Amino acid sequence: MAGLPQLFEEDIQCMDESLSQLLERSEATAAFIIDKGGPLIAQHGDVDRFDTTTIAALAAGSFSATQAIAERCGEINFSSIYQQGDHTSMLFRNIDDNVMLVILFRAALSVGAIKYYGDVAVERVAAQLQRASERGGETVDLVSMNSLDAGDVFRKQTHCPNCSAEVAAGAKFCAECGTRM
Amino acid sequence: MAIINNATKELQVKIVYYGPGKGGKTTNLEQVHANVKDVQEKGKLVSLATSSDRTLFFDFLPIEAMAIKGFKTKFQLYTVPGQVIYNTTRQLVLRGVDGIVFVADSQYEKMAENVESFQNLEENLVSQKLNLANIPYVIQYNKRDLPNAAPVEYMEFLLNNREVQVPSFTSAASKCEGVFETLNMITRLLLNKFINESARKSA
Repeated sequence: MAGLPQLFEEDIQCMDESLSQLLERSEATAAFIIDKGGPLIAQHGDVDRFDTTTIAALAAGSFSATQAIAERCGEINFSSIYQQGDHTSMLFRNIDDNVMLVILFRAALSVGAIKYYGDVAVERVAAQLQRASERGGETVDLVSMNSLDAGDVFRKQTHCPNCSAEVAAGAKFCAECGTRM
Repeated sequence: MAIINNATKELQVKIVYYGPGKGGKTTNLEQVHANVKDVQEKGKLVSLATSSDRTLFFDFLPIEAMAIKGFKTKFQLYTVPGQVIYNTTRQLVLRGVDGIVFVADSQYEKMAENVESFQNLEENLVSQKLNLANIPYVIQYNKRDLPNAAPVEYMEFLLNNREVQVPSFTSAASKCEGVFETLNMITRLLLNKFINESARKSA
């Protein structure tokens, strides 16, 4: 598995434009490009209605699981999953080895049209990702990004054992009830 | 592989908690979710579990934190199902993994399961064309608060006895002891790896 290539502005722009065009033509509600490992790469449409990070993780898991079932049934060709809902339907399309497209749309819309316009977006994004993998060489310079000092990234909330109030890190007494920490 | 999006200045990393069944992987995520403070954004903890609360597919917790200045860093924490029968599912969850926390159960009678699970991790990484030697990982010796906990030295001998020893932590995840120390260490290892790789490629 070669893995997702380094993404630059032109790649993200291509994805954004492809998704935008897809939604405009198909009247779908929202569309996402997702790494099959779970992370969300690009999104478009009415996305504020949804917990898109979680949808991406679940969609990636669902797609991989269904693909694994298909393989166990001797099916080599696996390109999509369709769920017909009462209100919102979903279509998952394969883009390449690393990424997939998720389209959410009103159940009243024709899935045929969604597939058609989805495939246009798939082809365009796949071609851009192919160019990105061939580009090689370039990399994002994280060294200059100044990683934070050795301090902890994740800090734990401390609670008073007596009254359960939150206590500031390093405090010797609880500010609420005075219990010695 | 971590996703570095230079256009949106985002870094997304995937950390997987691996280990034998009922070892405390889900509890680690629950404690992080309940007790983490001052992060930029904390998502919901999603559990795909059986009716008896055993992990069926994975648990998932997204957290956004300030780890690299100028970059939005999104951490995605996953657990795998520990039960032996769910091996295919574990392989799927390992896809795109950047860092691993191996959660071992400190109870004496669980030693064989710990070793078996560690071997299973190595095999499953190979099935994903990955190699444990190239992935940052830490080991957590959980359930230290139980009376039948094996000595840490013994567990180190069983699980952390390779050419390069990795950081290990004792914990009692149900009391949130050792949980944040473990998570912060794997985060540090991961960020160091990204920065070193970036420096090497730029050279």
